[in-house]
Parts: sequence; structure tokens; C-alpha cells
Amino acid sequence: MTTLNARARVLKLFTGEEVDRPPCFSGMGNVTTEGLKALGYKFAASHLDASMMAAAAATSYKLLGLECGVVPFDLCIEAEALGCEINVYAHSEDLLYPTIKKKLIRNEAEMELVIPSNLTERGRVPLMSEAIRLIKKDIGSEAPIGSYVLGPFTLAGQIMELNDLLKLSFKKPDKVGRLLDQLSDAVIRVADQYEQAGVDYITVREMGATSDVLSPRVFKSLILPYLKKIFEKLSVPSVLHICGKTNDIVSFMAESGAKAISVDQKNDVAETRKKLGPKTLVFGNYDPYNVLVAGSTDLVRRTVKKCLDDGVSAVWPGCDIWPTVPPDNVKAMLDEVRAYRR
Amino acid sequence: MVTDDKKKELLGKLRNAVIQYDEDTAKEAAQEALDVGMEANDAIFNGLVSGMEEVGRMFEAQEYFVPELLMCADALYAGLDILKPHVKQLDLGVRGSVVIGTVEGDVHDIGKNIVKMMFDVAGFTVYDLGRDVPLDKFVQEQLRTDSDLVCLSAMMTTTMTGMKKVIDDLHAKNPNVKIMIGGAPVSQDIAAKWGADGYAKDANNALKDAINMVSSLKKMKDEAEAKKAK
Repeated sequence: MTTLNARARVLKLFTGEEVDRPPCFSGMGNVTTEGLKALGYKFAASHLDASMMAAAAATSYKLLGLECGVVPFDLCIEAEALGCEINVYAHSEDLLYPTIKKKLIRNEAEMELVIPSNLTERGRVPLMSEAIRLIKKDIGSEAPIGSYVLGPFTLAGQIMELNDLLKLSFKKPDKVGRLLDQLSDAVIRVADQYEQAGVDYITVREMGATSDVLSPRVFKSLILPYLKKIFEKLSVPSVLHICGKTNDIVSFMAESGAKAISVDQKNDVAETRKKLGPKTLVFGNYDPYNVLVAGSTDLVRRTVKKCLDDGVSAVWPGCDIWPTVPPDNVKAMLDEVRAYRR
Repeated sequence: MVTDDKKKELLGKLRNAVIQYDEDTAKEAAQEALDVGMEANDAIFNGLVSGMEEVGRMFEAQEYFVPELLMCADALYAGLDILKPHVKQLDLGVRGSVVIGTVEGDVHDIGKNIVKMMFDVAGFTVYDLGRDVPLDKFVQEQLRTDSDLVCLSAMMTTTMTGMKKVIDDLHAKNPNVKIMIGGAPVSQDIAAKWGADGYAKDANNALKDAINMVSSLKKMKDEAEAKKAK
């Protein structure tokens, strides 16, 4: 078939149409120092200005050829809109991602959270909408524009002590469930803003619920219902990403209502493919640091081939791509995807 | 004098209290152990720690996950707080000191806290810097405390590269210090590539490795002093 452009390929993949080859893209952060350098931006500043964020994100497509444009780069948008203060490490010359400075919920009693009615006007949600519009205008006719939101459990782990959250999911699952229900509403509202701004696909990142941390049983009873609630409300194609050990929960992930599931290098994708059959979209699962950043071009090619041999529907990283990624490695990855014959 | 049967009963109670994350029973059994005249050391290592070892096995077998692990650790600390003031002498052959923390940019500290707990029970002097620790702070604290060991933790791919910088700085300032790194994205390969002396695959291994490193450090120091004495 004729060669599709990056956007058409990804959109067709999501709707189950035939594509010329698997796309090579991501739904998670992928800004690069290469891109930042070309624009003369500091990493810390790129999180706080819509036009800088959009321009920096677009360089991953324009300069390195990654087949998408994704904003934002950090994981604090929702928590900030809910009222947490963030730290962007403006003082630092190092690559430090923003973190939450102060928790919103300090004890069990404070778990009865009320989501602010003007949530989508708070923090950087408006900035995000603007950034999506800008990058869409810039590269949106050629490349698919993606964004991400946190899963409710991962978000809960940001606004309260993870230590407490984990213990309470065991001791008082009803209470945690109520919080997750509220947070899913918040996530839905933020995602709705991104959809209105024109995003092509949204990834829900629920990495706190990996089987490295929570049992598959708790995942099914406590987390999955709220993920279902979110995916039911999303209108653009959606991806559910969970990192770490996921082989025991891929069936639940596929049940969540997401159009595709995303797993990292700890997942045995051949096994997952066997379990889920040929039709389920599985994105993954190269190691974005050890392979794409620190590996040789040869390792990159071998890893990409293995992902495709195992049966991924799109070549996609296991996490955010670390910014110092060498452009030659991205090129090697794209070359391998283009040359691959199943 | 405490009978062997009673001793056995109490050790079993301590062990099970940890496994069943029962803080109250851990406290009761610890107090009872002291009341009947058991050695605190015995109660800690053959009771609480033995329970934690079983928890480690259950975690590996995926019978327990992190929430259970955290609750077990709470039970262990509940017993340890009562027993520790009565510890006469810890006989692990080695007493080390360690600076531990999660690197700047990372606010996750659960893994770090579990490793810290292992050091606590083993009688190490622990300087816990907490989480989101500026990289220079590790170097400053090591120099200030002259610790044998520095343990660095990171939870995410987006934060772990800070560890390399600390390793380089520490090695430049103090080539003798031993460095261990750990956390979800870290591997033996990365540890080797970045020049760390140890890799904490999990909390049990972290402690074993730490004891080995501190022993070899002490041995080196003793040999150096013996040479000087000659």
C-alpha cells in the first residue's frame, strides 16, 4: 500500500484499519536536549510557557524524526491543578523533572477531597490547551499530536504520601476507592480540555499500579473500575500505560476500554501477544534509557527488531525518553522500523 | 531463667507478628521477651528479622506486594523500638555507617526506607537524608560523617542519571568510600557502568552487600594500620 504520513498511520492504526508499517511514536514525554539546544531553551523553562513547550516538543519530530508531537514533559499537571505546589528546579542546570513540593492530603481524614469546580482553569491546564493548539498548528497535519494524563491511583500517590496510600488500599479500600472516584472525575475533565484543544490521542499513565507494587487482585478490584470510567469518557483514541511487571494484568488492561495498551521492557510481549490475540493493540516496549540513550545503534536495531518480532503494534518506549538521547539512535530505530519485514 | 519452650514461643510470636503485619502483637511480644529476660539481640534477629526474611521470600514469590511489605515493616519497627534500647552488643562482626537518600528530582522513598530499615536492624549508624536530596549534599554528608557507605536511590528513569554525578563526585573526593545504588530503573549493568560498588536488587541483598563492603573496608584499614605500626 502507499506510504502514509505519520499522523494518518497512527490514526488508522487506532481505528483498526490496515497500515503500511507499525508507527514509531510515543504517548509519553520525549523532549530532547538536542531540540532544546537548537531552540536555546532551558529545560526548566520549557514547562512553564506554552509556546516554548510546543516548540520544544515539535523538535522531536522535526529534528529527530520521532513520529509524533507530545506535550507536556512532566507529570505534575493534574496535581498542580488540584492545588499542589510544584518545584521546577529553576536553579538547576541539570535535567530535573518537576516534582510535587507539598502534598494536598496529609492524613486519612483529608481524603474526602472536593475537586475544585474551576479545575480546568487552574495551574497549567490552560497552558496545556494552548500548547496543544500551537503544536497542532505547527506539525499537526503531518504528525499525530498526543498528550497524557495520570491514572487516578498514580495521581493519588502524588497528592498524598504513597506510603499511606498503599497501606490504606489494603486496610481501607473503600476509602481509597472514593478518592479514586473523585480523581477519575478530575482526570476526565482535564482530558476533555486536551480533546477540545485538538489532541489526537491520550495516554493514561497508571504506573503506580504496576504489579511491582500492587497485586493483580487489588488492581482488578480497586484500580480497574476507575480506569474503565475514564476510558468510557474519552472520545479520542486512548492508550493505557503501566510500567514494570505487567504480564499478570495485561488482560485487565485490555478490558479497561483503552484502544491500546502500553507496556515497558519488563513485559514479555510475545507472551502478552499470545494471551491477548492478534487484534489487541500493544505498544512497546524498548528501554528508553539503557537502549535508546545509552545503547549503541546496533543494540537499538536489535531491540527494535525484537519488539516487532514479539508482536508490538507500534514501536514505542517503556517510559519517557531521557532527553540526552543521541539523534543517531533515534535514526537507527526509525530505519529499523521502516526496513522491518514481518 | 527463661525456658527454651517459652523462648521458642516468643520468637515465633515476634516472627508471626511481622509476617502478619500485627503491630500490637509485635509490641506485646517484644515487651514480654524483655520481661522474661530474653536477650534483645536474640528477639530481634531470631524473631523480628526472621519474620522479615520470610516476608522477603513471600514478596519475591508475589504472595505479598508493597502494601503488605510496608505494613510488615511497621510491625518490625514496633517491636524494634521496644527492644533496641536493650541491645547490649550487636554481633554481626561489623558495624558500619551509611549515608542514604533518594536523589534530587525524585520524591519516592519507599524502597529507600525499606533498605534503611535493614541497616537499622543490623545496627548500622544511618544518616538518612530523605528524598529529593540535592546531589552535593551526599558528598558533603559523607565527608562530614566519614561514613563507610553511601546509598543512592531513584525510582524513575527520569531521575536516575543524577546518581552517576554523585558517584563521580564521591570518587573524586574520597576514593575509599563504597557506593551502592538501587531503585526500579537501576540494574547491575548500570551500577557497573557508572562505577558503583554495589547494586541493591532488593533490601535483603542490599544489607548483605553492605556488610561485605564494610568488612572489606575495615580489613583494608586494619592492614594499612598494621603496616604503619611496623
